[in-house]
Amino acid sequence: MTWFTIFLKDMLLFQRRLLRLGYVISTLFAPLLYLGAFGLGLGKRVVISGGSYLDFLLPGLVAMSSMTNSYTWVANSLNMGRLYFRTFQIYLQAPVSAGAIVAGQVAAGMVRGLFASLIILVLGLALGRRMQFNLMFALGMLANGLVFSAFGVVVGLKSRSHEDTATFTNFFILPMAFFCGTFFPVDELPWGLRGLIRTLPLTHTNELLRHPEMNRDNLVSLLILMGYGLLCVVLGIIFIRRYSE
Amino acid sequence: MIVTHELSKYYGKTTALEKLSLSIGEGEIFGLLGPNGAGKTTTIKILTTLAFPSGGWARIAGYDVVHDRPRLKPLIAVCPQEINLDKELTAFENLWFYGRLYRVPELSRRIGELLEWGQLADRAGDRVKHFSGGMQRRLLIVRALLSRPRMLFLDEPTVGLDPQIRRQLWDLIRQLKADGITVLLTTHYIEEAEMLSDRVAILNRGRLMALDTPAALVAQVGGYVVETINGHHTSYHLVQNKEEAYRRARAQAAGVLIRQANLEDVFIQLTGERLSP
Repeated sequence: MTWFTIFLKDMLLFQRRLLRLGYVISTLFAPLLYLGAFGLGLGKRVVISGGSYLDFLLPGLVAMSSMTNSYTWVANSLNMGRLYFRTFQIYLQAPVSAGAIVAGQVAAGMVRGLFASLIILVLGLALGRRMQFNLMFALGMLANGLVFSAFGVVVGLKSRSHEDTATFTNFFILPMAFFCGTFFPVDELPWGLRGLIRTLPLTHTNELLRHPEMNRDNLVSLLILMGYGLLCVVLGIIFIRRYSE
Repeated sequence: MIVTHELSKYYGKTTALEKLSLSIGEGEIFGLLGPNGAGKTTTIKILTTLAFPSGGWARIAGYDVVHDRPRLKPLIAVCPQEINLDKELTAFENLWFYGRLYRVPELSRRIGELLEWGQLADRAGDRVKHFSGGMQRRLLIVRALLSRPRMLFLDEPTVGLDPQIRRQLWDLIRQLKADGITVLLTTHYIEEAEMLSDRVAILNRGRLMALDTPAALVAQVGGYVVETINGHHTSYHLVQNKEEAYRRARAQAAGVLIRQANLEDVFIQLTGERLSP
């Protein structure tokens, strides 16, 4: 249960940071900005699939918040803990398996992502938007958190500086936020690009959260997300086992 | 307790450690003395499983530092050079999470005992960010002792501390020896190595230059130093005894200082460089 100790410590640090107002605002600033600018501003003039734009946008922002918060929390805390505060070395030198380290970090990142997306969700519902909640929706959220927390572990372990983490964010996270169906349907994209975008995890999360029915397409999306998550977890374990300063 | 054989570490073309072979007995305080870049921290990183060696091998309590890591890790603890405490957590919380990683039995009681030992009991509930540098160092040592390690690595434990706090930490380190814990200590403070270590290995640029008790190392170069101050230039002469020192001093017209030789003189004799800038 050493993974739970790692998880618990991260949760305590998360709780302490949550009490700082500036921290919460900065964490949720981007999705709230999108919700205000695109949803409330542009949303009145745009109709997608016969529905309001805000109804289309809300699940996308929920998925995006989960992605950015899960990823950023894990990648930054691991990177800073490893290179600057050197608190990560405590885990490496303790009798803790690489799997437990990854599990603890990923679980903490998932909670963080779920927390951020829950706030967006509550805000959207308060604005009178409708969303469908069921098991598939919950699984989609969990799988999304798993993928991006585990990706955060990989990035946190491999980046050689804090700037490196930002580079990964700019090349992987930011393009996904804009092209994977958060703000407009993937079908609107040119054919070649559409194929590439359909291979990326956030596209599948968006589809799962928008239409969380139990069908073949969604099960495939869920499997793809789990595959990405598993790949990143395995890579994280390998990188920790091979870690050498 | 520790045996290393031709232990080496290279970073590209840079040699951090070159064929270090040494043996450290159980219950010994062993000092690694050398300037920055001598290979002290690299040695500790390899021995505490934070780095793979490029060549050679090392065993602690019979366990190989590369191949037997799961069995080795519960036996060792490290006080790193950097204060890697979670500053947002309290002293108790830092110790509690660390103790859980090592599955320390009766954890709360053990934390209480050690906080008393480290004279930190009254600050247990305070966040570490409000601690002074000396208190944080003491907490690092307390944390390392939580798992009852057989082997403790102290990497520059008193760096940046004022002399009074440094002496307090020395007392703590001497207590460890009394408790039967083997200690590997790195330092670039001469006095620290001499006062604490049973034996000292002098490292320079990744190479082992000498290894013996502090007294034997000093005796090898002579017991006394005659420093002749001539304008801005100071010359050093190592002599075997006090009488010889007096004789040489009397022959000098300029200012003369006679003092007992120390490990710095050993280092100068071995490398032609000063240990501290």
